[in-house]
Amino acid sequence: MWGGREVAMGVKGAVILVAVSVMLAGSSCGGPSAPRRESTVKVSLRDFRLTVTPARVPAGWVSMDLSNEGPDTHEMIIVRTAAGDGRLPLRLDGITADEDALAARKVDSADTVLPGTRRTLRVHLEPGRYEVFCNMAGHYRAGMHTELVVVVPS
Amino acid sequence: MTASRLGRPPITGGWRRGRQPFTGQGRRAVAFILAVFAVTSVAAVGLSALATVRAQHRAVVIEVAARQRTLAERYMNDVLLTRDGQRADPKGTARLLQLSGQALLDGGTAPGVDGDDDRTTVAAAQGATVRRQLQQALHLIEDLIATGEAFGRHQPTAGLKLTAGEHSLPADPETRLRVLATLTSNVSLNAARTIAANADRQLAMLVRLQVLLGALGLLGSLLLAWLLVAATRRQSAHFRSLVHASNDLVVILTEQAHCLYTSPSVTRMVGRDAPNLIGPGFRGQVHADDISKLLTLASSFDCDEPPPLRFRLRAGVGWRELEATVTDLRQDRHVQGIVLNGRDVTERVALEEQLHHQAFHDSLTGLANRALFRDRLDHALARAARGGHTVAVLIADLDEFKQVNDTLGHDLGDRLLATVADRLAIITRSGDTVARLGGDEFAIILEDTDEGLARAVAERIVTETAVPVRLASRELVVGASVGVAVADHPGTSGEDLIRHADVAMYAAKHGGRNRFEMFHPELARHAGELLGLQHEIHVGLQKGEFVMYYQPEVDLAGGAILGVEALMRWASPTRGLVGPLAFIPAAESTAAIVALGEFALFSACAQTAQWQDQGLLPDVFTTWVNVSAKQLTAGGIRRTVEAALTAAGLPPTRLGVELTETSLVADNAGFENACHELEELHQMGIRIAIDDFGTGFSSLSHLTRFPVDALKVDRSFVSGIEHHSKNAVIAANIITLAHALGLAAIAEGIETPEQLAELQNLHCDMAQGFLFARPTPAHEVTALLATPTPNPFGFPHLIGVP
Ligand SMILES: [Cu+2]
Repeated sequence: MWGGREVAMGVKGAVILVAVSVMLAGSSCGGPSAPRRESTVKVSLRDFRLTVTPARVPAGWVSMDLSNEGPDTHEMIIVRTAAGDGRLPLRLDGITADEDALAARKVDSADTVLPGTRRTLRVHLEPGRYEVFCNMAGHYRAGMHTELVVVVPS
Repeated sequence: MTASRLGRPPITGGWRRGRQPFTGQGRRAVAFILAVFAVTSVAAVGLSALATVRAQHRAVVIEVAARQRTLAERYMNDVLLTRDGQRADPKGTARLLQLSGQALLDGGTAPGVDGDDDRTTVAAAQGATVRRQLQQALHLIEDLIATGEAFGRHQPTAGLKLTAGEHSLPADPETRLRVLATLTSNVSLNAARTIAANADRQLAMLVRLQVLLGALGLLGSLLLAWLLVAATRRQSAHFRSLVHASNDLVVILTEQAHCLYTSPSVTRMVGRDAPNLIGPGFRGQVHADDISKLLTLASSFDCDEPPPLRFRLRAGVGWRELEATVTDLRQDRHVQGIVLNGRDVTERVALEEQLHHQAFHDSLTGLANRALFRDRLDHALARAARGGHTVAVLIADLDEFKQVNDTLGHDLGDRLLATVADRLAIITRSGDTVARLGGDEFAIILEDTDEGLARAVAERIVTETAVPVRLASRELVVGASVGVAVADHPGTSGEDLIRHADVAMYAAKHGGRNRFEMFHPELARHAGELLGLQHEIHVGLQKGEFVMYYQPEVDLAGGAILGVEALMRWASPTRGLVGPLAFIPAAESTAAIVALGEFALFSACAQTAQWQDQGLLPDVFTTWVNVSAKQLTAGGIRRTVEAALTAAGLPPTRLGVELTETSLVADNAGFENACHELEELHQMGIRIAIDDFGTGFSSLSHLTRFPVDALKVDRSFVSGIEHHSKNAVIAANIITLAHALGLAAIAEGIETPEQLAELQNLHCDMAQGFLFARPTPAHEVTALLATPTPNPFGFPHLIGVP
């Protein structure tokens, strides 16, 4: 019973976040730069796989809709890298990605997405290759990483 | 709140509650409040207990979950140590991991670690998220152990079946082992966190629920308490408004007449504040004569329904009279007193007294009236019978009052009566009753008296009433005729006494007025006979017992019958045939005399007319009818005579009236009027004679003032006339006088031829008497008239009835 409630509250929180991001988007649209079509990328998090759909988007503002399908808690980090999928530098333990080394290339991150909840992250992506992954203990090496390709919009 | 305004709080409040149906309602409300409190308290305590249990459980579960992390890392180490050839027990650790993980998921006993006997029993995990995480933890443990065992046996790990959804584990077995251990550790930690978060949420919910329940209970209780207070307020406001608005006077007293409570109506009436009346102060306001009634109230409850209590309360300068119903509520713990529920009956009592006074007093003089007089007399006689003393009744009638009233007006008459009343009140003692029986008649009851005292009082009444009264610048002189009756023997009734005094009063009046008369039995007898006779006359007239007799009058010159005197006879069934002397005086004091006079005139006229119609009458013939003084002075004689003549169809010249000498006395009332009427009758042709001339004391000058035609010589002068006595001289002089004045002389009572001869010698004109005829019924006179008289004086001495 409490679990069900927890899910409901999580969904509600996500809805609020969506609303907030929509507002932010609205305000940026009214900005000096020319309005551009915003892409949406669905990010699925689960033990222990991370997928993005689509895996290729035009450059610009991208709305990343996160959904943790559990059962464990996850996170999402997006870094720009040309190294290729699953080739991020690791810390000394050889298990987790070295975020300090990646700090300069990090675009954004969503920490602690509880199972059964959603969250949206709006990021501005330049054309290039990006690694999207979860760096909770062991999750990266267990397979929670994928590549997102950002192309110049046609 | 309201009680303080009403007086003494506890008594008032309790008394009110004790009488209102609110009691049960109030108890129910209080019980309900307590029940709400109890239920919410129990719920809150239950929730607290639940929260405590939950908190303990949470701590245990978190501890076990946290231990899994340690065990996962230990297992990895054990595997690595074993592979390096060192001593370790990866299988034991693996079993602990599995058993603990299973226990966390499905409930049960988690084994102790490191040989400690800290086996812990946990309940099955609840919540889908937690269960999925713990399930995942079990899968990871399985994968970890499988990898660990393969690693320990130096076997490849890449081909091992993975159960926890791992996607792309490193190929290197050791790294893979470390990743899996990390994952297991991490998921266990996260599960513990989720459990903690869930438990926190549950605890927070419990606390919120507890707070909510407490608040609800408090609010509910407050609401009910408020409703209770509001209801009480309404109730007491209702009561207060009732008591305030009501004129009912409510007082609660102790047996010592100490006041416990007074309603505002009482304080308003008495004009003092409640604090001054509460306690012994109340008795100070009660009339001294009534305090004993209040002190004996307790004993009045012996009977089923105590009678209403009457008592007086001081209200300002005066007294108010209260009538109260009394209720014993001494045993009622709310009241503990005697409740008087009263009404102010002052006005009603005053009105009753006024009505009573009006019913028993004469409004003009303020004296007792006839009803009260009778009542007092009966009481006085009853007292006298017990005490053996004497009661006297005096009745005083004012002699000249009617004249004052008629000539000076009722206003002055009333004032005269009031003055006389005052004088009578002064004369009598305070214990005596002075009453006005009506008109100018007063009565006095003397108690504890004797004949001498009664006589003295009567004497004083006569003298005092004779003192002139000065009214409206006039000196009015009235006198009183007083009758005194003394109840000198037991058994005398009030009615007797009044009648006796009345008889004595009339006797005093007849005896010359302005005097008093003591009653004696002879007076009663006389009065009784008179009353009986008057009654019989009255009845006789209606039954036609009266008849007219006629006595012929003979012309002494020629012997012809030239007239008759009509004489009334009463053929009474009890008294026989009675002459006028026996009943006329009795009739004279009543209205019967007028009726008798009318009867005489109508009968005589009718009879004479009949004789005339039969052709029996000579040219000159007069029927003489006696008219009494009363009849004359009553007025209307002319109208009566005219009516009689008209009814009979008789010429006035056939009728003559005989008047007594006394009826012509000038000081009689109505004299002037009578003279006038006689004058008119005479002018009509009716003849007038003076009866019994010479027996009265009338002045001879009257004869010149009246239209008289004849003088009748009284029989006393006729008898003995043949012996030349003094009577003969008088008779001769009367006859001479008549002739000198141009009147006829008619002799009465002629009985012998000698008398006849002497009268003829004196040139008397006419005569009547036994010598010629007795008074006889009409038919015998008819026969006489019809008989030719060759010898005018040869009257048979046989005719006439004695
Ligand atoms: Cu993850």
